[in-house]
Amino acid sequence: MSGNGRILVVDDDRDFVEAVRTLLTHAGYEVLSAYDGRSGVARAREARPDLILVDIMMDERTEGFFTVRELRRAPELAGTPIVVVSAMYDRVPEFQIPPDPRWLAHDAFLAKPVVPEALLACVRQALDARAAAGAAGQEVKP
Amino acid sequence: MKTLKLPKDRLDLFASVLQQFGEIHAPVEQNGQFVFRRLERWSEARLDYTRTILPPKKYFLPPRECLFRYRRDRGYEAATEGLDRRLVLFGVHACDIYALNILDQVFAGKFPDPYYQARRRHIAVIGIDCTPDEHCFCRSMRADFVDKGFDLFLNDIGDDYLTFVGTALGDDMVLATGSLFSEVTRADIEAYKRRSEAKRGAFQLDVEIRDLPEIFELEYGNELWEELGDRCLACGSCSMVCPTCYCYDVADDVAPGTTEGNRVRTWDSCLFTSHALVAGGENFRASRASRIKFRFYHKQRGFVAEYGRPSCVGCGRCITACPVGIHIVEVINRLREAEHAVAG
Repeated sequence: MSGNGRILVVDDDRDFVEAVRTLLTHAGYEVLSAYDGRSGVARAREARPDLILVDIMMDERTEGFFTVRELRRAPELAGTPIVVVSAMYDRVPEFQIPPDPRWLAHDAFLAKPVVPEALLACVRQALDARAAAGAAGQEVKP
Repeated sequence: MKTLKLPKDRLDLFASVLQQFGEIHAPVEQNGQFVFRRLERWSEARLDYTRTILPPKKYFLPPRECLFRYRRDRGYEAATEGLDRRLVLFGVHACDIYALNILDQVFAGKFPDPYYQARRRHIAVIGIDCTPDEHCFCRSMRADFVDKGFDLFLNDIGDDYLTFVGTALGDDMVLATGSLFSEVTRADIEAYKRRSEAKRGAFQLDVEIRDLPEIFELEYGNELWEELGDRCLACGSCSMVCPTCYCYDVADDVAPGTTEGNRVRTWDSCLFTSHALVAGGENFRASRASRIKFRFYHKQRGFVAEYGRPSCVGCGRCITACPVGIHIVEVINRLREAEHAVAG
């Protein structure tokens, strides 16, 4: 069952990716994966997912920040919701992500460890918002 | 100027936050050399670089740019796309910032250039200190320290960067990072002084610029110019890599058979045969010797008369780029020796 949409998970933690894959697949989504920022951007441009989940601290501590920027640069991904899923608040507690969408152009932020219901609700909400904006003929931008 | 410090192990976090101020461009390694380009990840940045092939000038005065378009039925239309593109140039050396300050004088002076000025307004500059190599002589040219022309300037003092805040934008950058920066202590300032002293001692090239305009005035007929003319290939490499060379050519780019086109400017070089060629076929500097002499005189003599200092900042790029080994410091020192020989 994968009729609810295609979701790309970009995270270097393969166990986390598999856990999310299981959860989202059961919820009716098709799940693609990439294990670092560069291949995540390439996979996204090629597969045009409906939503992207991105980690921040991958091979590099700040990799996700640059990955989100690269995803937003790709014209073919315009309007694709990006949900950042990160343990950064725990790992670097003195560094708080400023609430400025120009900096981290994401649609939603989920702190790891993620509660499955919260992840499913966030994904559903982001996809619904995209569908509503699409129906209204708006370009969806963060 | 406010002075703060940033722990080195927080630099990547700081750079990430800077993305809200624009796309981050920094020196990256390319085939064993360095170039400024957009970062796709922080680890690409090589802040220990010596010098980039092209200076940051390329962002403010692109090698080729369309100034305006024209069509018979629509008239003229200014080409303004990209002028407001926000960038953060991360890791610019003091000599290259000094060069930008010189270009500011040229492009904001008697004949303001709106294209250059728009880019200067929209591109943030984060400076970083450096260690001179065998081609650097910025200290001789008084360009090893800058007190303006940047938003922030990072000085390596061991575990931290002692950071000069140069503008209100730089202050905004610091504020945007929350608690990454902290106040400097007396020990930090002492560390900065030690670092500056060590840097001063690391220069291998030295050139005395005192009296240089006078020496150039007197050595106009020196045989050295003919000798250099024989060696120079007139390739223009020295001009292309120079952070302060600003000569450009303007030409219309029109497709045959159409009534529309673009007016385009491209970097030019005073070493090119066509530089002083005018209508009617007269060329005021037809020989290579006259052209290379002109380049030296404009840098070290004419610019001093107009702006009060030489336009050379001692970055060493022309030394590394010249395919026949013409070395600016050796040229100046030979002229000085010739002058002293006459005086003696």
